[in-house]
Amino acid sequence: MIVGSQKPIDEIWSMVKDFKKVLVFGCNTCVAICHAGGEKEAETIAALIRMKASQEGKQLTVDHLGVMRHCEPEYFEPVIDKVKSYDLVLSTACGVGVNFLSDRTGTVPVYPGINTSFYGAVEAPGVFKELCAGCGNCILHLTGGLCPIARCSKTLMNGPCGGTNKGKCEVSSEIDCVWYLIVERMKKLGTLDKLTEVQPPRNWSTSRDGGPRRISMEHIREFEEKEAAKARM
Amino acid sequence: MASNDTCTLEPYRPYGAEIKETRPYSPCRAACPAHTDVQAYVALIAQGKYTEAFEVITSVNPIASVCSMICHHPCEQSCRRCGIDEPLAVRHLKRFAIEKSRDYRRAKRRLIAKTKGKSIGIIGSGPSGLTAARDLADFGYSVTIYERHPVLGGMLASAIPPYRLPREVLNEDINDVVSKGVEVKTNFEVGKDAKLDDLTKKHDAVLIAIGLSQSRSLNIPGERGPGVMLAIPFLEDVAFNRKPALGEKVLVIGGGNVAMDVARSARRLGVNNVEMVCLENEQEIPAWKWEVDEAVEEAIKINYRWGPKAVLREGDRVKGLEVTKVLSVFDANKRFAPTFDPNVTTLLEADTIIITIGQMSNLSFLKDSAVKVDERGRVEWNPATQMSSARNVFVAGEVVTGPGSAIAAVANGHRSALAMHLYLQGESIEGRLPAQEKEKIAPMPAEVVEKIGKLPRLKIKHVAPEVRVKTMDHFEEGYTEKEALEEASRCRGCGGGAVVDKNKCMACLTCMRVCPYGAPVVQAYSEIRPEYCQACGLCAPECPDQAISMVSYDVREIRNSLQATIGKIDASRREPVIAALLCTNHAGILGFDLPKNVKTVPVHCTSRIDILDMLKAFEAGADGVAVVRCNDGTCKYRDITPRVNARVKRVQELLGMLKIEPGRLEILSTASDNGGNLYAGVCAEFSERVKKIGMRTK
Repeated sequence: MIVGSQKPIDEIWSMVKDFKKVLVFGCNTCVAICHAGGEKEAETIAALIRMKASQEGKQLTVDHLGVMRHCEPEYFEPVIDKVKSYDLVLSTACGVGVNFLSDRTGTVPVYPGINTSFYGAVEAPGVFKELCAGCGNCILHLTGGLCPIARCSKTLMNGPCGGTNKGKCEVSSEIDCVWYLIVERMKKLGTLDKLTEVQPPRNWSTSRDGGPRRISMEHIREFEEKEAAKARM
Repeated sequence: MASNDTCTLEPYRPYGAEIKETRPYSPCRAACPAHTDVQAYVALIAQGKYTEAFEVITSVNPIASVCSMICHHPCEQSCRRCGIDEPLAVRHLKRFAIEKSRDYRRAKRRLIAKTKGKSIGIIGSGPSGLTAARDLADFGYSVTIYERHPVLGGMLASAIPPYRLPREVLNEDINDVVSKGVEVKTNFEVGKDAKLDDLTKKHDAVLIAIGLSQSRSLNIPGERGPGVMLAIPFLEDVAFNRKPALGEKVLVIGGGNVAMDVARSARRLGVNNVEMVCLENEQEIPAWKWEVDEAVEEAIKINYRWGPKAVLREGDRVKGLEVTKVLSVFDANKRFAPTFDPNVTTLLEADTIIITIGQMSNLSFLKDSAVKVDERGRVEWNPATQMSSARNVFVAGEVVTGPGSAIAAVANGHRSALAMHLYLQGESIEGRLPAQEKEKIAPMPAEVVEKIGKLPRLKIKHVAPEVRVKTMDHFEEGYTEKEALEEASRCRGCGGGAVVDKNKCMACLTCMRVCPYGAPVVQAYSEIRPEYCQACGLCAPECPDQAISMVSYDVREIRNSLQATIGKIDASRREPVIAALLCTNHAGILGFDLPKNVKTVPVHCTSRIDILDMLKAFEAGADGVAVVRCNDGTCKYRDITPRVNARVKRVQELLGMLKIEPGRLEILSTASDNGGNLYAGVCAEFSERVKKIGMRTK
């Protein structure tokens, strides 16, 4: 899932202070799981903005709302008219949701209420950990299922580097050295010999190269376009 | 009462009434023939909302005062606390709420407008007749009750002895019904003062609710003659204070609850030597166990497993009852089929014998009427329509259902009233009367039971046996307010717990991680199993999607009410405005005297206090917010405090972002055994600390 964390109220305040009618719009999937931007957090942020407005002597109407996901139009379409009735939408969805909604609110701006951080897992209640970088070319079968792209500070394909230190990364003793973990894991799997194979330089064209990525499923698109054409006739 | 002082009544609906109809009932409610929402009214009592509790009770039970004295309370027998320690004392709590609401109920008596333009005659004014009268008056019909006794109430007035049911208690219920504009004809015996046909011509519909007012007799040798009487005439004499003549040694034949009434009344008429004889043994005896225990306390001897054979006399005078040893009472199919050992007989000496072996209806008034009686002497009826064989004549209560409880007769009276209403509106009845059996929540799983602390039921006091047998006075004391609040807080809130909106839930597992009782099961969405849920409310404030609500209370109630509770902030105030969110468990709220600057929001447990509730208090202008919890040792739930602490910490962080001093929010705890003074103490101390921080200007 996508993990994010709330922006500090001062930063949020600087975004919203010049508007009269603000909607804090929560997204009830990924960012709700990490307690950053679900409906509950949207209501909390709305309360904080109102309190800040009162401290600043500003008149501001701040409401909140939540839908299941901001990244599929069907979820927010039922409330889009209400959303568009505000001067500003402070979305607490991930960056995907903010982008996606921004295209669909006409003249109403959509600002981010949270910082979208990474793709991660719930390591323990309240602990979220980055495990994938979305690089577009998965090599986890070569590394014991543990990702050096996301989890190695240097994104090394042939690790570990000289900075590994008793299983920790030289960047911080809080960070596990993933190459250490990969070695231990592959020992356990009995596939350590695979690591003697040197990985060639990586082709990054599937990642941040060549502009934003888009995947189109031709069989679904073809069907959908035919249906749409039928509907137009 | 002036005619313009009439109204139509909307029945009171407690919070969650609608959703409860879509879910399994709490076992107490399912067990009550009238389906009284016990969980709702016990929770209201625990909150000190006594008149609201009264409304919940009386919404389905027109003889609530009566039931608060004499109900056999199947709710208690099915209480899920039975599996933990002892059932909740539901009947005593009911009595407490009703007695607390006396002035309220009297003030709200109103004539009901007769909007339907149709009239109904009801024969009999016992539980089913009174219930039907109330419902039909509420529907807007003109209702006339015909009662052969000088007072209303049926057996409640003419047979239940006053030591069990004080008449002023009964009269509260009767006055509720009569005040609606129900016409009453007492000393009016249908069959003597008028024929049934006269009534069916006079009214658009007639209800037969005559109960079982005739005692059965035994037909054994020696039965006829002085010294042998039947239960009902005897009880009528007791009820109307006619002092029946008894000898020095009374023998009551029978082991049912009416036999107990007879024997215990005989004791109260000054007979020291009262015995009973019944076919059954201690386990089989049909009377309620508490009746047996109380009778034994009153020095009444019960001769078990003897069957009456003959009344022996010396001349006219009764010498005793010859009895035969009973071998068994029930056959293999548990049907009543007593067997005897004719070789073992004995004489039970007595000079007075009272036969209490069951009752039947007096149906002589049905002769030559369109209402058919079957070959076994019972009124023919259709339970699906509550109709007799005559089109506009309906039936209710024990005359057709056979002997049962008062509350069962109430339930049947409701059915008849609805049936008559449908009939008079030209609608079909079949399939429209509510199901009598309701699905109920499963027993509490063992793994949950072991997580719940034992808390014994608060006993109520009885007048000592040697004192109580000297009068016909009621012998049971009620709860004090503190006791009632404590007992009410023992309720586990079955059926009042958490519900997930599956359209909002995204199966994040938070509730599953939070719940101390393992109630949520998360698959495509979370489902909170009602047999596990203890309605503590811990999960709802944790749900990131706000997908969890509670059946028994509005999870947004606190934050929605805080602005009004705190009120307008005086800019020149000298004392800080404190909002105190108080756990009211264990009657902690009673008698406390908080400083004026402390605004209180009572909550059933701090578990339900949301981060948003605390923020809202600050948003409403509070200078300080106290979350006041009970001591860990007295909490009726478990694992609450660490979660609430975490919420308080989070709010302190958020306040910090707004440069509001975190010290303005504290979680306080106090022992509550001594009532509210300790609450007052901790709140006053907190108020002083906030005062040092200063008043909030922004």
